[in-house]
Amino acid sequence: MECRAVVSSLSDYLDGRNIWASDDEVEKIETHLTNCPTCLNLKLELSELKNAARELPLHTPPPALWTRISIAIEAEISTENGPARATQNASGWWGRLNSRRFTFSLPQLAVAGAFAAILIVAGISGVFGPNPPSLSFKNAQSGLLPEENEIKANLERRLGAINARKEQWDSERRADFEQRINMIDESLKRCRHMLEDNPNDAGHQEMVRALYDEKRRLLEDIERLKW
Amino acid sequence: MVKEIPSLTQSSKSFAKFLSALATGFLALTASPPPSGAQTFNRAFAVSPERSELEVVNQVGTIKVTAGANSNKIVINARHSDGPAKIEATQNAMGKVKVEVTGRGRVDFEIAVPASSSINLLSYQGAIVITNLAGAVRARVTNGDIQIDGMRSAKVDASCTQGNVSFSGEVLPSGRYTLKSFSGRVDAILPANADFKLSASTFSGGMDLEAFQMKFNKRSHQLVEASHGAGRASISLWTQEGSIYLRRKP
Repeated sequence: MECRAVVSSLSDYLDGRNIWASDDEVEKIETHLTNCPTCLNLKLELSELKNAARELPLHTPPPALWTRISIAIEAEISTENGPARATQNASGWWGRLNSRRFTFSLPQLAVAGAFAAILIVAGISGVFGPNPPSLSFKNAQSGLLPEENEIKANLERRLGAINARKEQWDSERRADFEQRINMIDESLKRCRHMLEDNPNDAGHQEMVRALYDEKRRLLEDIERLKW
Repeated sequence: MVKEIPSLTQSSKSFAKFLSALATGFLALTASPPPSGAQTFNRAFAVSPERSELEVVNQVGTIKVTAGANSNKIVINARHSDGPAKIEATQNAMGKVKVEVTGRGRVDFEIAVPASSSINLLSYQGAIVITNLAGAVRARVTNGDIQIDGMRSAKVDASCTQGNVSFSGEVLPSGRYTLKSFSGRVDAILPANADFKLSASTFSGGMDLEAFQMKFNKRSHQLVEASHGAGRASISLWTQEGSIYLRRKP
């Protein structure tokens, strides 16, 4: 296995080997890591970043934070509409930003730190990955399993690549594939509803995981078949 | 005194020969009718029995893999029809043999491998049949059945989206056996003394696990976690819309 292939798989590998990669792929990655110090170092750095991000405390922003932000926005609007607008425009947005004084509480800094760490991890996997996953606000809100958002991002990326090629398939092949994907998605929807009702039910969690795994296998089939 | 009628005897012999030839020709024609456009593909690769590895990627058609008499060879016989399918068989520097079908058309494979070979098979549509192997097995079918018999392997991963999956063979102490089908039944036929921990899950089917007296850790109509013996091997059975059957080998 080449360094490039290992680097592009590292993020997925660290996220959960059983879900992302076949046993063969995992073995190949592990063999490569034992022989390649560069890739091993990268793996260790990524692991440290992920662990550090995980250990950061989660804080809910105080309700007063939004009040302060809205006051600041209103003040900004009234300033821009006022007589000093010309002077402000002359110094530009950077000048305005520099002239403003920001103060943050410790919890706010911790939240910002966690967010920055997540951005770094996502950035690294995005730089090295062949197609960066399309993260969305909707995804970030919808995780029922701890790893669900990442699973979804990975599947969306793979499905996106397949969809881009799908126009070249004949109608029979396209219909067959779409029917199977829809079949799995429907079951996934049903099982997720059940999990929403009982979020701690291990059985439902396993069912949702099994369905994501089935979807991953189907997409992997299409990739291996080179459709 | 019997008078010979040589001419008559000769002609009846010729007629019998003619009939015999006609019958032979007819039988030959009916016994193996060559489908129009059908072609065969035959290749053999020298391999090391300790490190023999085979991967097959097929679009449509069956893949049958069995332990061959020759432990130093992978022998591939294929028959293709119904379209412009292209078969490529290559061997890399490590000795791994890869067979890949591209394009449309049905290709049916019969492959003999050394018993200890690791195999990785994929067919979008068509059955996979594996018999008498001892190496790691990965079999995947999108639409079709998977049948695995007479196994002595420590690693089996068989799954299909639509179709039945059945496994019959020994359960090795450190073994990992995963049998999955989205919409089909899953059958595992194991020796009475098999030593395993089991995870079985179905969303809308049933489970028949009574063949073994197991110790249950979790038991609901959708999910079972149990063990038999010391629970050394790991068996995972999953189907979303089918049923699960665990049976004892007779």
